[in-house]
Amino acid sequence: MSDVMIRLDEVHKRYDGQAGDAVAPLSMEIREGEFVVFVGPSGCGKTTTLRMINRMVEPSGGRIWIDGRDVTDVDPDELRKHIGYVIQQVGLIPHLTVAANVGLVPKLLGWQRDRIEARTAELLDLVGLDPAAFGGRYPKQLSGGQQQRVGVARALAADPPVMLMDEPFGAIDPITRARLQEEFLALQRRIRKTIVFVTHDVDEALRLGDRVAVFGEGSRLVQFDTPLGILTNPADDYVRDFLGSGAAVRRLGLLNVGDLRKPEPADRLPLRVSSGDSVHSVLERMLRDGADRVIIEGESTEDDRELTLRELLMAGSAR
Amino acid sequence: MSTRDEVANATGEAKSWVLPVIAAALVVIVFASINARELDSIEARLLSGEEILARVGEHLRLVAISTVAVILLAVPLGVLLSRPGMRLLGAPVLAVANAGQAIPSIGILVLLAILFGVGIWMAVISLVLYALLPVLRNTMVGLKQVDRALIDAGRGMGMSARQVLVTIELPLAVPVMLAGIRVALILNVGVATLATYTNAGGLGSLIESGIVFNRMPVVLAGSILTVALALSVDWLAGVCERGLRPRGI
Amino acid sequence: MPFHEYVLRNAHRIMFLAAQHVQLVLLSVAVATAIGVGLALATERAPRLRSWLLSTTGVLLTMPSFALFGLLVPVLGLGLGPAVVALTVYAIFPILRNTVTGLETVTPAVVDAAKGMGMRSGQRLRMVRLPLAWPVILNGIRVSTIMLVAIAAIGAAVRGPGLGELIFRGLARIGGANALNEALSGVLGIVVVALLLDLSFVLIGRLTTPRGLHV
Repeated sequence: MSDVMIRLDEVHKRYDGQAGDAVAPLSMEIREGEFVVFVGPSGCGKTTTLRMINRMVEPSGGRIWIDGRDVTDVDPDELRKHIGYVIQQVGLIPHLTVAANVGLVPKLLGWQRDRIEARTAELLDLVGLDPAAFGGRYPKQLSGGQQQRVGVARALAADPPVMLMDEPFGAIDPITRARLQEEFLALQRRIRKTIVFVTHDVDEALRLGDRVAVFGEGSRLVQFDTPLGILTNPADDYVRDFLGSGAAVRRLGLLNVGDLRKPEPADRLPLRVSSGDSVHSVLERMLRDGADRVIIEGESTEDDRELTLRELLMAGSAR
Repeated sequence: MSTRDEVANATGEAKSWVLPVIAAALVVIVFASINARELDSIEARLLSGEEILARVGEHLRLVAISTVAVILLAVPLGVLLSRPGMRLLGAPVLAVANAGQAIPSIGILVLLAILFGVGIWMAVISLVLYALLPVLRNTMVGLKQVDRALIDAGRGMGMSARQVLVTIELPLAVPVMLAGIRVALILNVGVATLATYTNAGGLGSLIESGIVFNRMPVVLAGSILTVALALSVDWLAGVCERGLRPRGI
Repeated sequence: MPFHEYVLRNAHRIMFLAAQHVQLVLLSVAVATAIGVGLALATERAPRLRSWLLSTTGVLLTMPSFALFGLLVPVLGLGLGPAVVALTVYAIFPILRNTVTGLETVTPAVVDAAKGMGMRSGQRLRMVRLPLAWPVILNGIRVSTIMLVAIAAIGAAVRGPGLGELIFRGLARIGGANALNEALSGVLGIVVVALLLDLSFVLIGRLTTPRGLHV
């Protein structure tokens, strides 16, 4: 796992006539088989960075290495045939069938027809579409979720070691999105591609990424760490704000109970809360601070009430 | 048939001073060449100053009368065909008019001449028939594209159907209607060059005489002056179109 | 002589002129298509030149056709030459305009994805952009064709080929026995030619529009 698949070395982008960099000089290493998510607000340069890797955007400077090869100066069209590329609008070619869309890159690479057909069927199967039923359809006959499955299959067609995905699930309804995310994670466990994935959705980033790169204003990389690392130790207030409230609860989603060790007993101060706070936010803060009691402040000190975590859980229980 | 509207738009985009400058340059070139050449008697007769002025006058008169007639006929008809009770009639009328557009202008002119005789009024009738469609269609389209919510709002304020038409629908339809009128005007300038074949004069008669007498200078002078006239009229129409458009639309 | 009898007796000649008419129009449209599509492709990276071309070819279309024929006669003489050139000039604008519009309306994401797959710019044009723009381009060609069928009638004034000849013969014999029959057969012939060509375009459109576009 220590092999570096993608190395960015002081890569930056500046557009003519614009003050400041669209992407400030950026260096990072992405390991083979790693799923890296770029996350940040719009305009932070995450998509531009992604598109510099397959040179859809030409870097103004710096070098890009893929699988040990400097690709900064190779023919971009040749380069792109060996990098999977998935975008939010999918961009299936409307006058080609689903099968022809998936088989397009192999065709450009000059594969034999039988090989293309076999590969196309295999890929459609892989993304959960029956090749017999869907291969002959046109993109317009598919739902948004189905289109993006085809988009993923198409990106995988020539078995590229690297996949670039620009908000692939951004335009899909929340329920389908959650299902596609699950399926995609399962798929990734099988194919172990090196993936760079752009999103502005923190939850998606934390759920999918082996490591998450948080981009900030002025196109700088603020933190590059595992989801657990980011939730546990946000690099600064910007990251903390960006994670939003509920980071402590979210962090639980990344931990399995089997991983927990019994903590040392320690005296914790009770958390002071006001009677208007929601139970949810109180539990979140208790979790964050490790408090096991709360004092609910009343109108005067005599009216204060104390509840333990256990009491809080029982009182708030749905039973 | 949307091409002609696009043309109006495209020429509207051209820099406003270019067309009149070209037109003026063409006129200067024609008169300079006429003066510089030795003309034979036929050429001299056809290309004398007063002859040319007379041709231009005939041409403009034809265009002016026909265009006014087209507006007076097509706008009320378009409004009428857009009224709720008449909507059903609108589509077939447009379809027939559209199909009629496949008849070449020279065909209308010649058929009318054969059937009813020659003369300026036959020419006017041909021009009107030919240029009716763009104005009729654009009046109907212009009224149709008015936002229904605005009409509802007008009715909701207690306006009568007539008040809604006059204060809301027509003003909002004016830009589209003006585009149609401009197209009709351009068509009329063109068809009027053929009026010579029904003895109604115009600049086309210079071209025709030049061909008949095999005098190329006359053909050229007639053609260039016609082009200059067309460019000027189109330019003027564009200026008027921008000026007449209600503000805020 | 009643009209139908005139048509039957002169069927051979009318058909000949109609065929001439169609050939003249199709030849001009073919040349104009090459020029219009070519100019649209050549000016993809020159938007100012492109809009200048659109304005200019648009202005050309406002020139009265009789005057354009007249301008060309001193240069090209009477007959086929001025007719083809004048008709070509008129046909360029709708084709150029629609090619530009057609290429512009191709969804950028599709082109982006094609580029991201490593398709070269020529491949993107041939395999993606032109097929997607084709219905719009074809409609431009159709509009030009129908327009030319009518304008070509005027070409007979400069001894151009086609059905216009019947109209001008009718005109020359006003008062004569067959004046109306000649002119009417010319006019109706042109209308029929226009309708048939229009129908052919509907058919061509059906056959050549990629299937995925109208499902």
